[in-house]
Amino acid sequence: MTKMKYMNRYWRVGEPMVWLSGAALAVTLLTAIVLLAVIMMNGLGVFWPSELQELRLKDGSQVVGKLIRSEPTSDNSGLRRQYKIANRDLYGLDFRWIDEDQIVSEQTPDQLLVLERVEHGDFYGVLKGLDAGTGNALSATVDDLSEALGMVESELGQLSELEDKLKAASYRIEQIRLKTLKLDFQNVAENDPDRQKLNDEKQVFSQKFGNLVELQTKRTEKARQARAIFVAANGQESEIVLADIFQVYAPNQMSISDKVVFYLKKLAELFVGEPRESNTEGGLFPAIFGTVMLIFVMSLFSFPLGVVAAIYLREYAKDGILVRIVRIAVNNLAGIPSIVYGIFGLGFFIYGIGHGIDSFFFPERLPTPTFGTGGLLWASLTLALLTVPVVIVSTEEALGAIPREMREGSYALGSTKFQTLVRILLPMASPGIMTGLILAMARAAGEVAPLMITGVVKLAPALPIDGNFPFFHLDRKFMHLGFHIYDIGFQSPNVEAAKPMVFVTTLLLVLIVLIMSSVAIHLRNKMKKRYTFGTF
Amino acid sequence: MNPAFLKKIKRNDRIAAWIITIGGMAVIVSVVLILLLITKVSLPLFYSPDSQLYTSFQLPGDKTGKQVFTLGMDEYLETGYIVDSGGLVRFFNVTDGSGLDNYQFISESGSQSLVSIQRYGRLNHVLHWNDGSVTIEQVKFSPFFDENNNNLRSIQHSIERQAAFAAPATGRSEQVVARINEEDRQVRVDLLQNGTLRVSLTEEVESLFGAAELVEATHQLENTAVGQITTMILSNDGIQLYAGTNQGEILRWNLSDIETPLLEEVTQAFSDHREITALNLVFGDVSLIVGDNQGGLTTWFPVRNSDTGWKLTLIHELTGHAEPIRSVSPTPHDKSVVSFASGGVQISHMTSERFLVGIDPPEKISHYALTTRGDGMMTLTEQGQLSSWKLDIPHPEISFKTLFGKVWYEGYSEPAWAWQSSAGTDDYEPKLSLSPLIFGTLKGTFYAMLFAVPLAIFGAIYTSQFARPKFKGVVKPAVEVMAAIPTVIIGFLAALWLAPLIERSLGSMFLSLILIPAALMISIALWQAARKIEPLKRVERGFEFLAIAPVIIIAVAIAAVLGPGLENWFFAGDLKQWLFTEMGTRYDPRNCIIIAFAMGFAVIPIIFTISEDALSNVPPSLKAASLALGASRWQTVWRVILPSASPGIFAGTMIGFGRAVGETMIVLMATGNTAIMDLSIFNGMRPLSANIAVEIPEAPVDGSLYRTLFLTAVILFVMTFIVNTVAEIVRQRLRAKYGRF
Repeated sequence: MTKMKYMNRYWRVGEPMVWLSGAALAVTLLTAIVLLAVIMMNGLGVFWPSELQELRLKDGSQVVGKLIRSEPTSDNSGLRRQYKIANRDLYGLDFRWIDEDQIVSEQTPDQLLVLERVEHGDFYGVLKGLDAGTGNALSATVDDLSEALGMVESELGQLSELEDKLKAASYRIEQIRLKTLKLDFQNVAENDPDRQKLNDEKQVFSQKFGNLVELQTKRTEKARQARAIFVAANGQESEIVLADIFQVYAPNQMSISDKVVFYLKKLAELFVGEPRESNTEGGLFPAIFGTVMLIFVMSLFSFPLGVVAAIYLREYAKDGILVRIVRIAVNNLAGIPSIVYGIFGLGFFIYGIGHGIDSFFFPERLPTPTFGTGGLLWASLTLALLTVPVVIVSTEEALGAIPREMREGSYALGSTKFQTLVRILLPMASPGIMTGLILAMARAAGEVAPLMITGVVKLAPALPIDGNFPFFHLDRKFMHLGFHIYDIGFQSPNVEAAKPMVFVTTLLLVLIVLIMSSVAIHLRNKMKKRYTFGTF
Repeated sequence: MNPAFLKKIKRNDRIAAWIITIGGMAVIVSVVLILLLITKVSLPLFYSPDSQLYTSFQLPGDKTGKQVFTLGMDEYLETGYIVDSGGLVRFFNVTDGSGLDNYQFISESGSQSLVSIQRYGRLNHVLHWNDGSVTIEQVKFSPFFDENNNNLRSIQHSIERQAAFAAPATGRSEQVVARINEEDRQVRVDLLQNGTLRVSLTEEVESLFGAAELVEATHQLENTAVGQITTMILSNDGIQLYAGTNQGEILRWNLSDIETPLLEEVTQAFSDHREITALNLVFGDVSLIVGDNQGGLTTWFPVRNSDTGWKLTLIHELTGHAEPIRSVSPTPHDKSVVSFASGGVQISHMTSERFLVGIDPPEKISHYALTTRGDGMMTLTEQGQLSSWKLDIPHPEISFKTLFGKVWYEGYSEPAWAWQSSAGTDDYEPKLSLSPLIFGTLKGTFYAMLFAVPLAIFGAIYTSQFARPKFKGVVKPAVEVMAAIPTVIIGFLAALWLAPLIERSLGSMFLSLILIPAALMISIALWQAARKIEPLKRVERGFEFLAIAPVIIIAVAIAAVLGPGLENWFFAGDLKQWLFTEMGTRYDPRNCIIIAFAMGFAVIPIIFTISEDALSNVPPSLKAASLALGASRWQTVWRVILPSASPGIFAGTMIGFGRAVGETMIVLMATGNTAIMDLSIFNGMRPLSANIAVEIPEAPVDGSLYRTLFLTAVILFVMTFIVNTVAEIVRQRLRAKYGRF
């Protein structure tokens, strides 16, 4: 009986409920930790040159590959391992599952090489010979191969210079074409001097373009002469053009320090390199650049509007029905689904304003749209609307945290409201405003849905900034880290092979966003403390 | 002070006040602008169609009294033509009625006298000649750009004979239908004077050695109907033949086998034995339009029934006429129906059962024709007045019923809610029902909230009330940072990491749902017992969530280990298979469990933060008073603090709900995007937001799909607007009550 009573009291006091609420918090935090851990574990190891194993199987065949993971077989009789066997062009698949009981022996021979290729992914195999363009292959060492690769690389460097020139020429030709279109549209006579000039220019550039193309074909042919012959695990020989090889390394010969250097090099390539193989390999430079540009242009719009609106709410508006409506509007702006912003951007900015600009300024180019299609400007404007509430809320909080005495002191000294605002309040609230701006930027970095409709693309042909007048091309389509994740994770033909790159991109994006928001939240908390427990 | 300076700063002050007020108003303006714009784009869906008289004049040319048999025009409403009983085609200018050139149809045997003309497809005419022979002629209009005439577009017309059928030995028939298809299969069906039907087929058959061979066959068609055949129609490929009788029966033959035409069914369509006066096939040749002598207009198609096989079934009843229907015809690009009775011409859409437009000039119409684009019509009255009309029917297939209700689509065995916006074929009818999408949104949101709300609210209670301030200072920013994790990342992990993981270890997941609460209860009880021992008594409170975390981890680990064994033991090694065979639910890898976790995870931070703010802002005096009166810390929270903070918690939940409703990337990646209406937790769904993201890049601007997607955006906007406005009003009340932000 007393025991019963005791239990009743125990439940009434509710100690278990306290523990359960603690458990709820623990689950929340654990989920977040697991999420970050999964991203870290999968993302950090991608560039590490793990060793190549050579397996002999029971059926007598040989497999060379990198161990990805092992797990129990479906009937629970043992373990099975997943290997990346690469050589997509020979085997068709990059990955293979092997039951552990099928493996007779495993070794890590030194001479195994990994080739990173421009096409078809990696190649795992052994070097057999080198053919410097003469037609007959001579046996060679890995050093010979790297020497030959170095030579090819310098040739490729010259080629890429040529390519830049070609691009410049074709840009000029395109400009001339557009100008001619404009003249056509304005019904300028055939013998007009402007037209003559354009025609002459066009001739010059076409001539130049033709020469460049000829030169390029010649050089490319020359650069592609050198080949090397490799043997894959199943004994198949494969002749690979050296110009198609991006990098060669022998992971089984590398020491830890070599591996660290290699890792860092790959990391650097990630930041400055161009994507390859439909974005599943190579670097992220255009995506990073696009994201930064987007955030920058967006801030130009959302920052002033947000700060002004917050000042209105906090300093100018008299408390009343209007302020309440503005606040409801702010909250709704924050709560409208981002996809609705996207569709608004499509309907208003692109088909509304963009088409208007096109038919007013570029009627000669229609029906090819200039601004009447998705682009950096429209995506930035859409995101600006989406992030305005973040700036408003933070700025308001910051202004609200400033003690009244500061304002009154300023007024007492005879300053106007505007002077008080500019000289006293805004400087004091600046950390809070910064918080809002950083949070807005973090949001913009991670938002994808509205961008998908307003101008983000899988692979942008050109960056939004380049050396051609007017330097900023806000009408261009762009790439974005968040969309990159969606695209290579869900739209690429070979999801398994794309996974490492998705995880790397995810890791990068998570780091960017988390660092930005941590800094912002830290700034905000610091500022709150400063005024809550200040000397006033 | 310098008065000029004073003036200047005062002016600056005023200007600034203006600018800042405008900036504040800009926020309201943008919300209103967003709503107005997306509504503006979606509204034309519901505009009623319109017809406008374009030109009208007395029929040109000679008035020799030859009866007009048919008329037609090009798609730009520029050139029209009429064919009279003498086989003379007269082209004329539609704008002013001035005559252009003429052309004479002549039968194979040289006859110039026609019995009847039937139109089908793209300006094809089946000419039934006086001598019993039949020809199929096509009028072709081809636009070209005239270089001599300033590159203006003008239209050339020409006439091409498609097929010719010789006169039968039995002489002229009562009625004839004939078709020729793309493989040159020629079919002619005659309704003979004695009321029987005869079919003649010609087709090219490839013999065993690859040589093409022309096969001809003629059959008397089986007919078991009681009534007299009054009208018949042949599908454009010449395979399906339908006939109606004066006793309300519909007969259906299949002519695909040249040797044995098959009577597939005789259906008593109307129980009152009313006469069927007009038959035709809706664009796509699946649905049959039936007009009767009481003015009724219905559509039918064969539906498969397990007892009787394929049987013609009444699908839609459209707005009829007051008089007997004289003829019916399909529109060229959609599933609309044109019906003609002495009272005028009407257009209705089959699937939406919407009455679109009616054309009813003061004089009685004798002939009508629709342009090949379906946006114009020409009518000829009995007095010879020829009028052309411009039709504006932007979205015939959209009505409230098709958007939200169950609709019996062509080819379906029963009415259904379906979203399927496009397919490979031209005659495909888009199915734009929003119900499965709204259902998907609510379903996903429901499961996500089921996961997120308890965790977030209890977590907030713990953080604000029980945790030590030192932890609070870490936990709260940590959760706020969690809110910044881009949803594209959560979605990607959910789809590519979590979904395969859960699919592999479904048993373990369910086991952990049992094990975690069990482990919690056991550990709490154990701790309660252990606390009686001396050194543990003095362990301070406020560390509970750290102490309990290992318990949860261990419970999950045990579940992971035991899961496969359990699955072997109870579910024959495969839980998914067991679910399918025993419970009848299919397990989709991307399902509501995944969504609950992923979207729940995405909304936890927002609910947590707002609830935590509300709980922390409850005045400490209330808490102190309750504790001083002897209430335990949980009692204080449950009875005193929670009620005071409940509006804030409600607001947080509402805002979290709004987030979940509008969340796009997670659902886009992790739901599988199948528009089904099924409550099962093991299925995916297609929510409104993901639907917009998937479909809008493919939607032609200002088309029905485009506008419907804007309508879904309006629905999303309104849903979140209500939720957010309510939440904000509640918060404003709360703020006023406690006087703090």
